[in-house]
Amino acid sequence: MILSDQEVQYFVNTISNSSNYDFSEYSDKSLKRRIHKILIDNNSDLITLINKIKSKDGFLDKIVKDITVNTTELFRDPQIWQTLKYRILPRFAKNKNINIWHAGCSTGQEVYSMMILLNELGLLEKAKIFASDLNTDALNAAKKGSYKYRFNIGYLDNFDKVIKENPFNYEEYNDVPYNKYFKIDKVTDVIQMNDFLKQKPIFRQHDLVKGGNLYFAKFDLILCRNVIIYFKYSLQNKVFKLFHEHLYTNGYLALGMHETMLGEITSKFDKKGQVYRKK
Amino acid sequence: MYKALVIGGSAGSFQVITKILSSLPKNFPLPVLLSLHRLKHVRSGFVEALSIKSTIPIVEPFDKESIKPGKGYLAPSNYHMYIELNKRIALSTEEPVNHSRPSIDLTFETAAQAYRNKLIGIILSGANKDGAHGLKKLKQAGGLAIVQDPNECQVKTMTEASLKVTTVDHIFTTEQIINFLLNIK
Repeated sequence: MILSDQEVQYFVNTISNSSNYDFSEYSDKSLKRRIHKILIDNNSDLITLINKIKSKDGFLDKIVKDITVNTTELFRDPQIWQTLKYRILPRFAKNKNINIWHAGCSTGQEVYSMMILLNELGLLEKAKIFASDLNTDALNAAKKGSYKYRFNIGYLDNFDKVIKENPFNYEEYNDVPYNKYFKIDKVTDVIQMNDFLKQKPIFRQHDLVKGGNLYFAKFDLILCRNVIIYFKYSLQNKVFKLFHEHLYTNGYLALGMHETMLGEITSKFDKKGQVYRKK
Repeated sequence: MYKALVIGGSAGSFQVITKILSSLPKNFPLPVLLSLHRLKHVRSGFVEALSIKSTIPIVEPFDKESIKPGKGYLAPSNYHMYIELNKRIALSTEEPVNHSRPSIDLTFETAAQAYRNKLIGIILSGANKDGAHGLKKLKQAGGLAIVQDPNECQVKTMTEASLKVTTVDHIFTTEQIINFLLNIK
């Protein structure tokens, strides 16, 4: 079964007519694929699904959650974390506060990665961590800070690369034990983040499509990684403008490894690798 | 008359793909979309390894990058690579499909929708069934389907799976694939 563009449009219109959510500027291919997956998971055709969205309480919210992609990892892409560790975060060492926003934080693995890194740099105390996502199920998982061990086991390598090793000095090795930050229970298959990390972030539901700044704050650093790949160019630009407005001058924006800023907005940032600095 | 070439491969395809890329003319008229599985720990260095031998530039594209002829686009590690109808790359971190990310099926299927009968698809050596379904979609959309001769493949699961689900236009050895590509306009 292949959905036609008209059917996708019909779905998008139904959602926007029945709720505050708007998927009209989501990237075509992945949106189509997500709808397709929802139809298979619900063993449904599009018309039946849409009728259910219109008539059944709570079903629309469930579908909206299913549209979003929630894959994330601890210290995904160690290079970018090394950049943060050696080039970016030390610049904030003299600040009184450090405001960091994880926009589209999903289940929170990178929020915990950031706090672990800040703690190793002695900067966690003065940091305020804000984390938002569209999907409240993902946010609840982020608050719990509890992850399946077998899905995350490979990412302990990433922890070692970022926290224990120094790519500029192979003789340096900081033997930081995992249980300083999380408990691993192989029997119950759980990695559980420690309480002092869990209590720190301010988690909020937020839809980047609608814009606005739910924290009424300005930020030194915004991380928005592998979120805008699901947006069309027009929406990407709106989101970049939103970030620009809410960054301090010389504040940083970190994107995913294969995400990039295009067009006029690029003139307002200096780019180095995957990190942009507001001029 | 063709507008794009899409190639899928997994275990045992690296030497074949480097041989193909080293044999293309510098002014190869099509973009080359590469969806290749790699070992989990080989996250970086793959594009460099391919570039050493390739006559055309190979990149791991950025999301929304527009597709140009004479250039190779390698699906980045840990991302699915889709082709949008406006001939731009779209990346996704959705769950692996058939244990694969990138999924060859998804690259082939979306490329088939974008290029229809102007697309050539090649499935090479590989140890799982990813790509078979995508090649079928490509064929259904009017594209030209080529499968590496299973007798020549280091691992023939992928090519045999493809031959099981779809008719193809050619079953070629590496040499024949290269000769064919050298003669397309």
